[in-house]
Amino acid sequence: MAKKQVLWFLVALGIGLTACNDNQKESPATGSITIHIRHTVDGNPLITDSLMYTNEAGNHYLINEIQWFISDISLVADDGSNIALDADNSAYYVDTDIPESMRIQAGMPVPAGHYKGIAFTFGLDEANNISNRFVNPPESFMFWPEYLGGGYHYMKLNGKWINEDGLKAPFNFHLGTGQIYAGSDRDILFDFGASSQYLHCEGFHPPQNLSPVVAFVPNYFRVNLTGTDASLIDGGNLELIIEMQVENWFRTPNTYDHNVWGGSIMQQQDALKSASENGHDVFIVKPLN
Amino acid sequence: MSRTRFIFTSAFAIILFVGLSACRDKHEGPAFKPTPYPFEIPFAFPNKLNIPTDNPLTVEGVALGRYLFYDGRLSGRTHADSLMSCSSCHIQSNNFEAGIDHPVFQGGYVHGLSGKQTTHVVLPLVNLVWNSSGYGWNGFIFTNNPITGQRSIEDIVRISVMAEDEMMGDTTRVKALFQQTTGYPALFQAAFGSSNITFRNIERAIAQFVRTLVSADSRFDQYLRGEIQLNQGELNGYVLFTTEEGADCFHCHGGGGNPLFTTHLFYNNGKDTVFDQDIADRYHITGDPMHKGAYKAPTLRNISRGGPFMHDGRFKTLDEVIDFYSHQVRLSPQVDPLMHHVLKGGVQLTDQEKSDLKAFILSLQDNNFLNNPAYGRPEKFPDQ
Repeated sequence: MAKKQVLWFLVALGIGLTACNDNQKESPATGSITIHIRHTVDGNPLITDSLMYTNEAGNHYLINEIQWFISDISLVADDGSNIALDADNSAYYVDTDIPESMRIQAGMPVPAGHYKGIAFTFGLDEANNISNRFVNPPESFMFWPEYLGGGYHYMKLNGKWINEDGLKAPFNFHLGTGQIYAGSDRDILFDFGASSQYLHCEGFHPPQNLSPVVAFVPNYFRVNLTGTDASLIDGGNLELIIEMQVENWFRTPNTYDHNVWGGSIMQQQDALKSASENGHDVFIVKPLN
Repeated sequence: MSRTRFIFTSAFAIILFVGLSACRDKHEGPAFKPTPYPFEIPFAFPNKLNIPTDNPLTVEGVALGRYLFYDGRLSGRTHADSLMSCSSCHIQSNNFEAGIDHPVFQGGYVHGLSGKQTTHVVLPLVNLVWNSSGYGWNGFIFTNNPITGQRSIEDIVRISVMAEDEMMGDTTRVKALFQQTTGYPALFQAAFGSSNITFRNIERAIAQFVRTLVSADSRFDQYLRGEIQLNQGELNGYVLFTTEEGADCFHCHGGGGNPLFTTHLFYNNGKDTVFDQDIADRYHITGDPMHKGAYKAPTLRNISRGGPFMHDGRFKTLDEVIDFYSHQVRLSPQVDPLMHHVLKGGVQLTDQEKSDLKAFILSLQDNNFLNNPAYGRPEKFPDQ
């Protein structure tokens, strides 16, 4: 009898252990990702409120603050596939005055492996750029007025430059949805007029110094960076730096001159387009050492 | 186990249980369960509320706070000439500001029982449950303040009771006065579980009441909710309000995406070029020279019922404020970058645009808030 009991015990133990092993085999190897945001000018960490920078156009300038959205971040595997770091339509707010906003802990586990690059959206694409999706500050303070297209600023980069009269003039380098105004001879690229998020524009009759808006133009762009050459092991945490090289917003392919565009560009699609095109080489990625 | 030992052990356990239960009943008394206050988040408003974990909103706490907010004995005195409370300067019909038509404080410039005038004019008590950026024109009350007594609305209550330019009271005297006033101990018992009145609980009750003062039903709110359409002048004003090439108000004062109509942040808006007289500006809190002359951007909800305007009350009417932003903005090293029209002296509105902008700002007036009986003076106090 005792022998029989021992036998049954061993059988049960064997089944239990086997099942346990099977479960372990089914669990994929995963790790996590931490992204550190850095802002630099001419290779050095950004120093705010100090008139110490000169852009490509020769404007002497200072930066007061930078606030922006990074969204839909994914890692690029060696085979070229994209591994999303968060659920769809994820977006993070970054603020040079809020240190904790410059450390992004991605929400979903990432398969272990070797990654050659990272991709993200600067700003918010159409699916992400929905008015009132952010009801809490500071994100809500980034709202982009309905009449100008709704949604949110992709970025507020505020500062001052020495203008042609030698005065320290404020500039708001604010990027977001552009507008096509009636009477302009530009091609209409996107017409969001029928979109429900812009219904508040109905009934608006702009004041005399504004022409009616006939279409909106998204100015976000996708950033694809390679060269991470990073491996994520099972249970590990991969730490990467995404660096915004601020001077490149004003450099190539368009030399951005504050004396040309002035202090405010939210209603100047040509300026928004110029800035957006310059964004192609603003960002770099590197591992955190 | 022997039978005797079993009986002894069982008896000991029963005695111990009964004894402990009796002891617990004696010390804890009836369970204290105040009623949670039913706070509703208005459409498009933030869902994060600035409510301290140690002072949740309760129906009983808010009701008590309303009595205290309006009871002139908050000054710790009973003589008719010495009564003063929060409501002495924060008038509901004037957007919980003094207002330029204040019956006592001429022009809206308030002073305390000592006769000393306050450093700044009164800020509105509106939607403060959504303010996490600091209270006061310079934000000297803020959550993580290393000065522990200057962190919350609760602290503002104590500061206001004691300040020479406000109630000039004594907290011991105040709590003793309410302790001996019929009806109040029972209200404290209901709100905080103790009829022994502490000044901390006075602070907590008033702070709870202030956090319930919600303005979210103006014509503009109704427009945002799709219930009404604004008229043409209001719509034109809305466009002006929210465009850089219009009046450019929205970066600091909100709009459809920020219905608080303030960021609660601090800006040098170009009123002056010399800041020697600014003895309590944002610079005096942060020590950053770039913050000289910077003050809080107040909410524009019900703004026409308040005033005088700006931290020093230099403008008496909304028209004067609009004229300032249109033509009188002045350049200084400290002027905020958002004031990018400064080199032109302002946003250069025409008379028609000024009229439209004013029409929109007036659409932010919430008469249901200004007349809400739940926010008003109680018909009678607990001892009446």
